[in-house]
Amino acid sequence: MQPIPEVVVLACTQAVPQPAALRQALQQVGLSGRIIQEPCSSKVESFHLLRILAQGADLVWVVGCPEQYCQLAEGSTRMGFRVAHAQDYLTELGLEAERLGYSRVAAGNPEDLAATVAEIQQRLRKLPPNPARPRQTV
Amino acid sequence: MIVGQRKSLQELQAMLSGYKKILLAGCDTCVAESACGGRRETAELAAALKLAFQMANQDVELQETSVDRQCIQEFLVDVVAAAQGYDAVLSLACGAGVQALVARLATIPVFPALNTMFLGETAERGVWLENCRGCGDCQLGYTGGICPISRCAKRLLNGPCGGASNGLCEINMARVYDPPVPCAWEQICHRLQDLGELERLYSVKPSMDWSKAGAGGPRRVVRPDQRL
Ligand code: SF4
Ligand code: SF4
Repeated sequence: MQPIPEVVVLACTQAVPQPAALRQALQQVGLSGRIIQEPCSSKVESFHLLRILAQGADLVWVVGCPEQYCQLAEGSTRMGFRVAHAQDYLTELGLEAERLGYSRVAAGNPEDLAATVAEIQQRLRKLPPNPARPRQTV
Repeated sequence: MIVGQRKSLQELQAMLSGYKKILLAGCDTCVAESACGGRRETAELAAALKLAFQMANQDVELQETSVDRQCIQEFLVDVVAAAQGYDAVLSLACGAGVQALVARLATIPVFPALNTMFLGETAERGVWLENCRGCGDCQLGYTGGICPISRCAKRLLNGPCGGASNGLCEINMARVYDPPVPCAWEQICHRLQDLGELERLYSVKPSMDWSKAGAGGPRRVVRPDQRL
């Protein structure tokens, strides 16, 4: 079984055209990350986020485009709603809503990506290990 | 359409306590439209319950399935087949769907994931309004197509109670409703006025025969032509 990464990033291909560079940037700050490419951030469903947390990740992050550049018009806006909806489940479960987050990056913009990595790093620093991790992976 | 609401994770977890293999069965028609029991919500609930059980250090196997309508035998057979080998089924159908499943699973307990609320309309994204109680004696033909049984807080049949203000029912004074509840009788009067049919309200309606609404015991519709 593959080790559970600390952070799983679901990234729109338009916002993050080079996922390897994002993975490297995470590695450079000492984080194990897995990047999953999405055709648009609106393809990310609330249940995807919850499922990934149930597999043991400490943090799940979605990267979409700035709302005005979304190729599916309101995809990036919807992505924000879906993350919030999944966060409601976490609150009901007594888990930290901060285990889910998102950012908006303009087509591979390096400053935006660096800000995303910094935000992920900051979140992970504050969060204890995921208490809902499956037992065998603890 | 039938509108439902998911039960709390806490209630569901307590209800399912002790079962090791649970099948979640979604229903992809009414409760999918009211965003509480379709395929997507079934996947959400399965993931959320997985998190809940793992947080409680319980090993529970959860599987998902979904059919178009759990209230119809022909669709239901797939859930019945999928349920074999499971300790329990958590159905995300309305109460009718849950019971249809119960009748076909003699040895496997079936639990409801939802509170079935009402017959309603999707008024806007994320807002469902009750607009029929299945009273068995539809009054819409006399009231301009606006239901006084489900939309008037007092179920009045012969005009408004007099408590409305600014077009809103007086129940808005008891608590905040978002969106606020309009006075159904003001809506009925305006509608009939606009249609030029206000005289429909001039004759006094006799009291309803509530036996048709269920007060006379479980209701049924039997159609010999359909039974062939
Ligand atoms: S009058 Fe009765 S049947 Fe007609 S809409 Fe109202 S509750 Fe439903
Ligand atoms: S204010 Fe209107 S809707 Fe409310 S109870 Fe009175 S008549 Fe019915």
